[in-house]
Amino acid sequence: MKHSISIFWRDRENHYKLLITKCRNCGKSSYPKLKRCPYCGSTNVEVVESKGRGTLVNYTITYFRVDGSEAMLPKVIGLVKLDEGVKVPAEIVDVPDLSSLKPGLEVEAVLRKYSSDDPHGLIYYGLKFIPSIIKKQ
Amino acid sequence: MWGDGMLKAYIASVEMLKIDRHYDKSYVDMALEVIDAVLNGVGLTPSELDYIIVSTAFNSLLTHQVGSSYILAQYLGVKNVNVASVEAGEASGAAALDYAASLVKSGKASKVLVVGFEKMSEYPSWIVNREYSKILNYMVEGIKGVTPPDYAAIIMKEYMSKYNVTREDVFKWSVKMHENASKNPYAQLPFKISKDSYVKSLVMSDPITMHDSFPVGDGAAAALIVGDGFTNNAPKELVELVDVESSVNLPLYLREDLTVFEATAKSLSKLTSKHRVSVTKDMALNVYDTYNIYGLITLESLGVAERGKAHEVIDEMPYLNVGGGLKARGHPVGATPLYQLGELYKLMTEGFAGMKYDGEYGIIHSMSGPDNTSWLVLLRRCVR
Repeated sequence: MKHSISIFWRDRENHYKLLITKCRNCGKSSYPKLKRCPYCGSTNVEVVESKGRGTLVNYTITYFRVDGSEAMLPKVIGLVKLDEGVKVPAEIVDVPDLSSLKPGLEVEAVLRKYSSDDPHGLIYYGLKFIPSIIKKQ
Repeated sequence: MWGDGMLKAYIASVEMLKIDRHYDKSYVDMALEVIDAVLNGVGLTPSELDYIIVSTAFNSLLTHQVGSSYILAQYLGVKNVNVASVEAGEASGAAALDYAASLVKSGKASKVLVVGFEKMSEYPSWIVNREYSKILNYMVEGIKGVTPPDYAAIIMKEYMSKYNVTREDVFKWSVKMHENASKNPYAQLPFKISKDSYVKSLVMSDPITMHDSFPVGDGAAAALIVGDGFTNNAPKELVELVDVESSVNLPLYLREDLTVFEATAKSLSKLTSKHRVSVTKDMALNVYDTYNIYGLITLESLGVAERGKAHEVIDEMPYLNVGGGLKARGHPVGATPLYQLGELYKLMTEGFAGMKYDGEYGIIHSMSGPDNTSWLVLLRRCVR
């Protein structure tokens, strides 16, 4: 089993939604859903849902293996700045041409498979990003 | 915080094992080897120790052993000793030194053995990579497949773009580290590399290649930290463990600027405000460089170089990472700060890697991930 079912289930909101924590004390926003503001420590926060659109801050094409399969490599890992102004780390998928990747590329969140307990185990889903141009096609 | 009136802590001895893939040694074998070397060197028996403090980050994940501090005490045949393991990710060894020095300075103990080790070669690389990636936030980063070299790659691209620094400029760090490691008998990669060897190196997370990153290896190092009473028979040149300071940074994705290590800078600020010491180019300095870009940013965050200019000053720093850094000496995680300590201690006393440092202060910098937490250890030469 790659992940604990209860750990994953308990945090399902953060896997299936892009939740942003807004601090009423210092005014800063952060990711993901948190009980305290990571900037000032205040508990006076509210949680809002992102619309799921943003731009690529920067990215890497990675060959670093962390599971037994090479089938998913290379992957694209990036930092995405949401339109709400918060950065999130994420995998970028459905990139038809890796040379099209560049900072500033418009991207949108989609629900995809994170991993699975091969060969007959659970499948873990969560949010990744795709280039917006793919969704428009 | 340590205030006036506290006792002082000194380094009595440091011993290191050559970093390698020691398939023939368990973590117990490695740890006992350096512990015996330290104790034999100073003429102590295990039963005379007040504390044994263990530093390891991955032992429970990679060797299935929890509580290695009392396991080691059992192998040493000692019962009347205090034991504990300290874990702060890749900075565990620095935290262990803080613990040891605090015990001695408070007067609670006078002979504290710190032993750091990591057994990184028990599994194939992909499993080690998976476990190592847990230095990041598992729930936010790890579960999505985001790994440490991915962040190093993104930081490196941001840095090169922001400061108009070339790939070759960043790689100067790796070349210098390998040159230093070629003179270090404990280094895992004791050989020189050419200034363009990254071109043929395997890509980990583009542009990070194997030659931009540390090697995976097993290692152990031990240090004996003592109080004033034990120094009566010590050699003329002593090294004082003056202070340890640390800070925490935001996770990378919440940082406004990806190209500065604020926890490193904050730790230095805390240290300098107490001890009026600044980092200079001619100081003995041993910094974390899990990736060469991190070495450069660390120098800038410590104020040795202007932002984006660290690659221009590293050749002006004769006592920078004399053992070859994590890049070429190696990075057996829980032991790494003990290797840093050993290199500086020897450099300040008997000499190391063909050099001897006669300055007053030396600083060790340790961190976990890209500055998620950063630690500084201040050493000072004392002449009796």
